[in-house]
Amino acid sequence: MSRPDCVDSRSAEETRRLGSSLGRALQAGDVVALSGDLGAGKTCLVQGIARGLDVPPEVPVTSPTFTLVGEYPGRLPLRHADFYRVESYARLAGAGFDDLLDGKGVLVVEWPELFPDALPQDRLEVHIALLAQEGPEAGGAGASSVEGQDPPRRLSVLGSGERGRALAEEVLRSWR
Amino acid sequence: MSLILGIESSCDDLAAALVRDGTQVLASVVQNQDDVHAPFGGVVPELASRDHVRHVYGTVERCLREAGVSMDAVDGIGVTGGPGLIGSLLVGLCFAKALSYQTGKPLLGVHHIEGHLASARLGDEPLDLPYVGFVVSGGHTALYHVETLSRIELLGQTRDDAAGEAFDKIAKRMGLPYPGGREIDLLAREGRGDAFDFPRPMLRQGFEFSFSGLKTAVALEVARQEREHGTPLPRAVQADVAASFQEAAIDVLFDKARRALAATGQRRLAVVGGLAANSRLRERMAGLPPPVEVRFPPVALCTDNAAMIAAVADRMLADGQTASLDLEAFSRVPLPSTLAER
Repeated sequence: MSRPDCVDSRSAEETRRLGSSLGRALQAGDVVALSGDLGAGKTCLVQGIARGLDVPPEVPVTSPTFTLVGEYPGRLPLRHADFYRVESYARLAGAGFDDLLDGKGVLVVEWPELFPDALPQDRLEVHIALLAQEGPEAGGAGASSVEGQDPPRRLSVLGSGERGRALAEEVLRSWR
Repeated sequence: MSLILGIESSCDDLAAALVRDGTQVLASVVQNQDDVHAPFGGVVPELASRDHVRHVYGTVERCLREAGVSMDAVDGIGVTGGPGLIGSLLVGLCFAKALSYQTGKPLLGVHHIEGHLASARLGDEPLDLPYVGFVVSGGHTALYHVETLSRIELLGQTRDDAAGEAFDKIAKRMGLPYPGGREIDLLAREGRGDAFDFPRPMLRQGFEFSFSGLKTAVALEVARQEREHGTPLPRAVQADVAASFQEAAIDVLFDKARRALAATGQRRLAVVGGLAANSRLRERMAGLPPPVEVRFPPVALCTDNAAMIAAVADRMLADGQTASLDLEAFSRVPLPSTLAER
């Protein structure tokens, strides 16, 4: 394993652009473990990945926290899973999670750290962190653009396994 | 007189229900799949795999027993065809097909969201059609124009997070117990709704929603309050955050619902889905000026259940929209769907 490498994003749109180049690099069978705190911008990155996989723009890519998995048609099928609300490995198996690892599509998993053994070793890990700074002032313009108030994010990438490492290199090259 | 058996397994619960005439719930059983494993002392991966069909049998049997009817009395079998998790959907679907084949009762494939929209028609005073249907839950936030139960038009939906998800995630961020949506509801009663001015995302733009930015703004505020007060936050601060967040989210839901009524010319509003159990949302929506009539399903029928599936199936049976035994599960089909034509 190499050390994680990173790139900063100043806006939701920039995060989506980074996601889009990641999406263009993905091949069938790729697994992306996407971690980051609440509100870090994980779903936003996945919206970009969908764009990079040519998912039609009119298809809304929404958070799969409650639905557990969202599937989108694209250049490759995009499967967007979320372990946040999953209570056990048994529940994951019961929901048919293994079917998502059939190698036919691309799998992106949010909150992968909750069930690390559910994912193959060969994968790309992407971590999004909010960079420390003061949040929006309380009492500020409430109805203004939310994206405009967002603090910057740092996206770190780490590949494990042969394909994971190659993908990490390709993604970082496209991001810089 | 018609009697429909409904079966729902689109996500992580198995449910069965018996509904008479599309409105009267004789029995509604919801079985969490985790409960299924409890007798075996917890996680048994072999049991958790695809043979959940056994558990459907037990759930349906219990439902028939509670209602005190036999399969002979049932006129049709309604089952969720999607959208949902294929692995979970197949459990209910395969069982419903087998039961239909064995008993000769017609099979009806129901769209899960159509079920939620129909839940306003369950109970002693079913909401008359047409109406604006507002699905607010952990997985969905969408407005529909329900002209009839077979003519449903999507007005707009969330672009990122569902409203209920924001409630649950913010509760978890503050360390509140699960389920977080109810905790926010309770805690907010002690707080000031104007303590923090959180964003009201997309308040003026069409019928689309976005709760991701609001969730982030609240998470940032919680982090800032924790720097000042420590973790966990004092209850008074938690209550102010909960109340201010809830007001912001409900302001958006209220505004969109009001404008959907105006745009469609409808006077009836059905608020359905898990978040429809929220007391402040009920209070605000009930405050829509007459002649608007607002209806919420009973709390037990707000979350995923099979009675709502049976309600739709009842209408489909009357319309002759029966499915063949090669009905397939689907993971993601928007409404209006072509499910009935399959």
